[in-house]
Amino acid sequence: MFFSALFAYRGKHPELMPYVGVVVAGVQLFFLTLNNFVASPFKVVAAAGPGGVLHLATLADGRGLNPLLQYPEMVIHPPVLYSGYTGFTIPFAFALAALLGRYPGEKWIHLTRRWTMIAWCFQSAGILLGAHWAYAVLGWGGYWGWDPVENASLMPWLTGTAFLHSVMMQEKRGMMRVWNVWLVFTTFLLVIFGTFLTRSGVVSSVHAFAQSSIGRWFVGFLIIAIAVCLAAFFKNRDYLHSDNHLDSMLSRESSFLFNNLILLVACIAVLSGTLFPVLSEAIQGTKISVGPPFFNRVNIPIAMFLLFLTGVGPLLAWRKTSLESLRRNFGWPALGGLIVAVVAVALGLREFYVALCLLLSGFVVMTIGSEFFRGARVIAARTGANLISSVGQLTMRNTRRYGGYVIHFGMVLIFIGISGTAFNQDKQMEMSPGSVMSLGPYTLHLQNFDSDPQPNYSAERATIDVDRGGRSVMMLYPTRRFYPSNQESGTMVAISSTLREDLYVVYAGRSPDTNLPVIHAYLNPLVKWIWFGGVIVVMGTILALLPNRQAVLVISAVSESAAIPGTPQPARAIISARSQIQRDND
Amino acid sequence: MTNRRRFAFAFSAIVALASALVPLRVDAQKTDRGKQLGAKLMCMCGCNQILTQCNHIDCPRSGPEIKELDQIVARNEPDNLVLQDFVQKYGQAVLSEPPSTGFNSIAWYIPGVAFALGLSIVVVLIRLWRQRDVARLATAAGPPAPGTPPVSALRNSQLERARRQADRETDD
Repeated sequence: MFFSALFAYRGKHPELMPYVGVVVAGVQLFFLTLNNFVASPFKVVAAAGPGGVLHLATLADGRGLNPLLQYPEMVIHPPVLYSGYTGFTIPFAFALAALLGRYPGEKWIHLTRRWTMIAWCFQSAGILLGAHWAYAVLGWGGYWGWDPVENASLMPWLTGTAFLHSVMMQEKRGMMRVWNVWLVFTTFLLVIFGTFLTRSGVVSSVHAFAQSSIGRWFVGFLIIAIAVCLAAFFKNRDYLHSDNHLDSMLSRESSFLFNNLILLVACIAVLSGTLFPVLSEAIQGTKISVGPPFFNRVNIPIAMFLLFLTGVGPLLAWRKTSLESLRRNFGWPALGGLIVAVVAVALGLREFYVALCLLLSGFVVMTIGSEFFRGARVIAARTGANLISSVGQLTMRNTRRYGGYVIHFGMVLIFIGISGTAFNQDKQMEMSPGSVMSLGPYTLHLQNFDSDPQPNYSAERATIDVDRGGRSVMMLYPTRRFYPSNQESGTMVAISSTLREDLYVVYAGRSPDTNLPVIHAYLNPLVKWIWFGGVIVVMGTILALLPNRQAVLVISAVSESAAIPGTPQPARAIISARSQIQRDND
Repeated sequence: MTNRRRFAFAFSAIVALASALVPLRVDAQKTDRGKQLGAKLMCMCGCNQILTQCNHIDCPRSGPEIKELDQIVARNEPDNLVLQDFVQKYGQAVLSEPPSTGFNSIAWYIPGVAFALGLSIVVVLIRLWRQRDVARLATAAGPPAPGTPPVSALRNSQLERARRQADRETDD
């Protein structure tokens, strides 16, 4: 990715690219040093030969891959997440280079916007793939455990998301330059910090397979990176003065400002929760735990506020929104959200946060829908095309804007999916062939157990006939595997997934008292919405990365006729230009 | 003994061995109260997971901990006493949330304080910007200083700026 970025701009921007090359090379130098001299991946199978020279040892057969990782998703989750992590180096390198070289204007942002979106897309996809792997393999019925290493991947995603929003303020209004530079710096520093958390073992994590003693190298690199960022900032901070300031609290800019604030608070909440056990132990001498209940309790209200802003943002105009326009734009989406919430409550979904989440989701979806509808209606009226084709034209005219809305829609689906967690049910039973377990609308009949020997593991498999309303609807085969080479067991969960709910059945092993197989079944509502939402987020990002197909109409002449009497000539002309463009835009 | 029987025997032996190696979390999943209390406790094997959700392969701690929880739950003690029993035995780290008293309560305040601080900074910044803009407009409204470009040139440049600004604003 680094080389692609450097190659793409070869021979261009001679004032900027040398600095970019140096920053990228500096980062690479650090990681190559680690790989070659500190934690060589080949060293683990090396053996000392005569004279102490290390040679690669010849092994007849290894212990094989960790059983938990023997799953197709594990082939793509690490490289995808890795691409996300490393991809954030590119905007960091450009931001630092622009600051060091005092590169004029917002050009560096235009140059790196696509790279940032690519990195963000990989990071989002990597996080979701990891969550799906945890769900399908680990067998605890969930997909996100707030493990420190999971948190490490979420933090740069949060600041990266904040950057992708606030960067628009810099592009359009020349605002928030200091903020944006520091958001890029913070995102990169959190990437390094996340790698430190994963590899150092400073906090206990279920991802213990990645621990090593190279943590201090990352601390050193972090200190150097922070020092370089601070030095560059203080030396050239006058270069980062804003052209404009916020005109009104009711404006697109202020919604981005609050969006950034909320994303950053979420990041601080995750960071503090992750590190608090270490802090508490250092100060008090006693270790405490900060587990999922803490993160859920703290982050759910933050997420709700963020969802609200996702809906509000597109309703506000740049610079200033009149109350009249706000009322006009808010009416239908607010009503839509309210109807969704009322229906949800009437259907028995009476958890406060679930009802709120559904209300806000309805609001956001209506907002997005109205944005597409209003734009498409104008195109349809002008071109005579039907509404669906007009939506396509509209989207392709401004892929970044409408791709962004598609991403928001995907995020809404993810939020709805997560809200289903409030209604999870589960049951665990020792079962013998012929026995029955009921869970929600399903009845599970255990038919038999059989073996399924494979070259690298042996497996015991349960055959379960699932009934719904007295009718057999499916067969499930949860499996328990045993890997002789590393003497470890693993589960293969049987999942029947629908948009409404997942029936998730785990063969948990045998009871030590009765030696009967133990089946643990979960009924998890709406989980499929999360994966579906993830796919839409990725597709939306790809859409936003596409170049616009047609230029947006911008007037070149200004009509004086629309000017407001009594205002000075230049102001009248400006108002006239704006109102003309507003009319054209509407 | 045929090869097939030998294989079946060997397989059964392996499965039996595997089953013996796998500690189970059975009882705490049976009652709602057990599940509720189990969610307030951590597995102490270092996997950083909730006790009743520990999926750590061959975990040596979750099985005994769950058994202990079931025994205490069976005695019908109040929740706080059950949790206190665990804290006495395993230390504060067994609780899945930081306590809301003493130094550890800071963990609960950090997100709120960060939000309040961020909000205050945003509000102060917006006020400063608006005051500065008002002052700038007041200065601009005064009589033209000598050497100021003629009105038409000023108007044209402002128009041009407005066009560029509108162009940027209507792009997204």
